[in-house]
Amino acid sequence: MPREAEPSLNERQFILQALQENLRLDGREFDQYRPLELTFGDQYGVADVTLGKTRVLAKASAEVTVPYVDRPLDGIFNIATELSPMASPAFEVGRPTETEVLISRLLEKTVRRSGALDTESLCLVAGQKVWSVRVDVHVLSHDGNLIDAACFAVVSALRHFRKPDTSMESGILTVYTPAEREPVALSWLHSPFCVTWSYFGDEGEIALLDATWREEQVRAGSCTISLNRHGEICQIAKLGGTPVEAVTLLQCTNTALTKVQEFSAFLDRKLAEDIKRRDKGGLMAELSAENDR
Amino acid sequence: MATEHPLVLPGDTIDPSLIPTHKKQPLRLGPGLRHVPPSTILPTVAGQLVTDLRKNSMWVEYNGGRYIPSQGDLVIGQVARSATDLYFVTITPYTANASLPHLSFEGASKKTRPQLLPGALVYARVTLANRHMDPELECVSATTGKAEGLGPLAGGMAFDVSLGLARRLLMARSREEGGVEVLEQLGAEGLAFETAVGRNGRVWVGSDSPKTVVLVGRALTETDEKALGVEQQRKLVKKLIREMR
Repeated sequence: MPREAEPSLNERQFILQALQENLRLDGREFDQYRPLELTFGDQYGVADVTLGKTRVLAKASAEVTVPYVDRPLDGIFNIATELSPMASPAFEVGRPTETEVLISRLLEKTVRRSGALDTESLCLVAGQKVWSVRVDVHVLSHDGNLIDAACFAVVSALRHFRKPDTSMESGILTVYTPAEREPVALSWLHSPFCVTWSYFGDEGEIALLDATWREEQVRAGSCTISLNRHGEICQIAKLGGTPVEAVTLLQCTNTALTKVQEFSAFLDRKLAEDIKRRDKGGLMAELSAENDR
Repeated sequence: MATEHPLVLPGDTIDPSLIPTHKKQPLRLGPGLRHVPPSTILPTVAGQLVTDLRKNSMWVEYNGGRYIPSQGDLVIGQVARSATDLYFVTITPYTANASLPHLSFEGASKKTRPQLLPGALVYARVTLANRHMDPELECVSATTGKAEGLGPLAGGMAFDVSLGLARRLLMARSREEGGVEVLEQLGAEGLAFETAVGRNGRVWVGSDSPKTVVLVGRALTETDEKALGVEQQRKLVKKLIREMR
């Protein structure tokens, strides 16, 4: 397996020197994200997220399966992350790199363990039939900050996803095709997003948001904060690296909250646009069998 | 690139009137063209067909693909490690290293050779490149014994650009033929910087002020990514200079 291309000494020194003078290579502010774009596919549950040159595609799907024996009332929810050689020759299929393991762990903690998806609502027949929701994350292009992009893609895909409608009549479970009944959205409780800070300098005094691949390679440490727009923190991951002052970390969390509120508003707007686009004859409300809560 | 060059697609038939004819010299085919005996010339890539009547040659200008070393190219390499009498230099990541002898620097002897650490950048010329061997580099002209601008690159920053832009920047008349004027424009705005362009798609920019380096780098990458014309490059430079102040 080829090792990841290392930056040259000149680049390493220059990036650090420029950061000391408040300069980033692409002219961004320290707490500025690259342009974030989100496109939904024709199918429900396909989200394509572009963050500068980083591009991540997430696809949500659902099927009916048997629940786990110890949790007969809970549906199954999985996130599968794959970094293919398409993103970088340093990634290999079937042999997860450290990056890949970290991304899937963080996504798991952020989305699954924070209870964003109500798994109990996925239960069809207790102990026998449940929905198994699965999100596949594909990294199409890697230019740093995969975690934030992947998390945004997963949340967008799940918010966009519609599972087939079902009904239970005298012990017979019916799963309707989209032609018979309009598919229904998942029972979604809150939208957590990841915000990753990269720290530079001996004491981590310089903090950057949305580091590019080059910046990630020279950073001294990083910290991923996951929270939703109400400021409820799902997890904070600071895996090794340089120690950071508590006050700095607190400021980072505050900035992260404003960023997450922006993400949340952006996603809501995109979802509304998508619904409008799909609602051609204005018949969506009549077709839906879903009850308002 | 000038607009009179026609666009060709792989497998297109080339209009015979475009093929240069010369009384004495044989016709030379450059990259992107293939001779199918007896007398067919087929493009193998999509791009602009360029003909040189004086040299009786034709080739296809295209942007893309990976860099394949060829003899005489100027490249920016990154030292991977040092062996007993040569450096292993990475020209493009994830490919086999090229070799750069310790003694092929200007005025180098066993005692005075430059000590390069792994990760250092060098501006070098490809002296040997063929398909089944690792390429070889030199940082000194074999005929004059002078560096002629080649050698280790100290400080500065290396930016990645497309192969097409690197080739256009290296043209003798990059403004007229290549349609890139961005470096001249930046110089005319009073910025002091130096550059080294490698055919492998890397541009090194050096300056005393990091601000200038960042600005030149942004101008180059933006020109490359958005495929800007000369007029748009001028606007871009004006915009970047205004932002800097």
